[in-house]
Amino acid sequence: MEETKEGAVVIKLSGRIDSGNAPAAEENIRRTLEGKGTCPVVLDAEELAYISSAGLRVLLHLKKTNPELSIVNVSSDVYEILEMTGFTEMMTVEKAYRVVSVEGCEEIGRGANGTIYRIDQDNVVKVYNNADALQDIRHEREVARLALILGIPTAISYDVVRVGNSYGSVFELLNASSFSKILATKPEKMDWCVREYVKMLKKIHGTVVPAGKLPDMKETVLSWARFMQPYLPGDLGKKLLSMVEAVPHDDHMIHGDYHTKNLELQNDEVLLIDMDTLAVGHPVFELASMYNSFVGYSELDHEVIKAFQGFDFETGKTFWRKSLAAYLGTGNEKKLSEVEDKARIVGYTRMIRRSIRRGGLEDERAKRSIDFWKEKLIGLLEKYDTLLFTRNELEIEAIPENLPSVESFVEKHLEENDCPPKAQMQIGLAVEEIFINIASYAYAPEKGNATVRVEVSGDPITVIITFIDNGIPYDPLAKEDPDVTLSAEEREIGGLGIFITKKTMDDVSYEYRDGQNILRIKKQM
Amino acid sequence: MLNIKKNTENGKTVFTLEGRLDTVTAPELEQTLKESLDGVGELVFDLKDLEYISSAGLRVLLTAQKAMAGKGDMKVKNPNEIVSEVFEVTGFTEILNIQ
Repeated sequence: MEETKEGAVVIKLSGRIDSGNAPAAEENIRRTLEGKGTCPVVLDAEELAYISSAGLRVLLHLKKTNPELSIVNVSSDVYEILEMTGFTEMMTVEKAYRVVSVEGCEEIGRGANGTIYRIDQDNVVKVYNNADALQDIRHEREVARLALILGIPTAISYDVVRVGNSYGSVFELLNASSFSKILATKPEKMDWCVREYVKMLKKIHGTVVPAGKLPDMKETVLSWARFMQPYLPGDLGKKLLSMVEAVPHDDHMIHGDYHTKNLELQNDEVLLIDMDTLAVGHPVFELASMYNSFVGYSELDHEVIKAFQGFDFETGKTFWRKSLAAYLGTGNEKKLSEVEDKARIVGYTRMIRRSIRRGGLEDERAKRSIDFWKEKLIGLLEKYDTLLFTRNELEIEAIPENLPSVESFVEKHLEENDCPPKAQMQIGLAVEEIFINIASYAYAPEKGNATVRVEVSGDPITVIITFIDNGIPYDPLAKEDPDVTLSAEEREIGGLGIFITKKTMDDVSYEYRDGQNILRIKKQM
Repeated sequence: MLNIKKNTENGKTVFTLEGRLDTVTAPELEQTLKESLDGVGELVFDLKDLEYISSAGLRVLLTAQKAMAGKGDMKVKNPNEIVSEVFEVTGFTEILNIQ
């Protein structure tokens, strides 16, 4: 049988191909292909029940004359034979897809490229918007694997199915509940959700991705900025473009669509799903999409978020601000607003472009949104010259070699806040003593991380630095001060670090909480 | 970072330290001292260009002071305000001969 589609010859195989009929089958195929040269061939195996080694030889011969050979609609039985014999490596073999219906199924997640439904107690299916989604599915599976290898807990799809006219990929997701659902049904869990959500966010942003494995988000945002050029007045388009250009390359992972429907609690484990937007880039790009998810999309019409996330605008906004504060490691409102504004610049750019490309300028309602976002974007572009910001928190491996990184992180914050040089020196001294203590003793002989958080508030300038480690419980303040009146011969070498810290800082406090040593120093100018 | 300059004349050795004497740089000074204290009758540290000292640096000075005990004199000269303050709070002003 023969049909021609896009230059390829499609040949249907049916029944069994074994040593009894293989020569006849080969002859049939030859006749069909007569005079067609080396054209691509698609074998439709929907009705093929069995293939023996004699039949496989027919495929081999065919592969030689027509190298662009693929076999589609392969049943699981036949697929198993092809896989065992290594044929799946030699030619394109596509399984027959199981058909799944999502009618009446609960929607548990929604991302840029598809919607996730629960199909039974243990499994979910992500149905792709794009009808020709096999490429997308392959991409998502690859990036999910990459993320898993790099230490990000995620679910990997194990099957591809047909859902109506679309494709879907199936994941195992047991007893899971999305963070959106938790926020919508258990408001008292807000702070817990913020903590876990930010923990995962830091984990993602702390993951270095080998070069070339993931797309660079900066390139994408640059293309948005270029698109915006004709729609912004005066030099603001140019300014937007140069602000994006000035964002340095960053090889750390970003999720790209990090909202609470894409975070699942499975038993006691937090899992990230919907990985197809994974990229590398500066955190400001991530914060932009987070802002849009929790605030931006619903800023004009507060009802929008309810349909999407299941919770109301106020909940979304509170969750966003709390998460931002926990992520940056500061409760300073001025700083929070500044970083939020920078995220909004990228966020509005994205929403405006998306809406215009969907014909929003011709639709009255969409146009109102575009104008609303544009006005805000213009205001922000007039106010800021950079998209860059620094987190007030640094998580770093606690080893003495990392001291210079810790010192320059602290110094940068002190300098930004016009901290006097003498106090900077004293604080630097304390930072060294404490970090070296953690690096030397907290995890020995193992290794672990330390978190250093710097908070500076004004008038009079007050600096609070918090050191957190998960090492053995140790209260350095409990140790008796060294006797500073002893002579050199009597003095012991060591034990002075924490003493110097106590003497030069205005306050030093220690607590052990949730498995963490928390040491805090305070200096007032 | 730390710059160590050493000058020896008539049994008197002067170390001029420039920069920071901290966890990162202290081992370097410690090593230099280990190699050059033999036969030294007078040891001087000139700190006029030393910006910063941490407990790791104090430990090296204390080790040197102990090593010089019974052998000769050790003096510390020209510490800046920050370094002086560290000497003061740690009682090093009593231990070291600071000028």
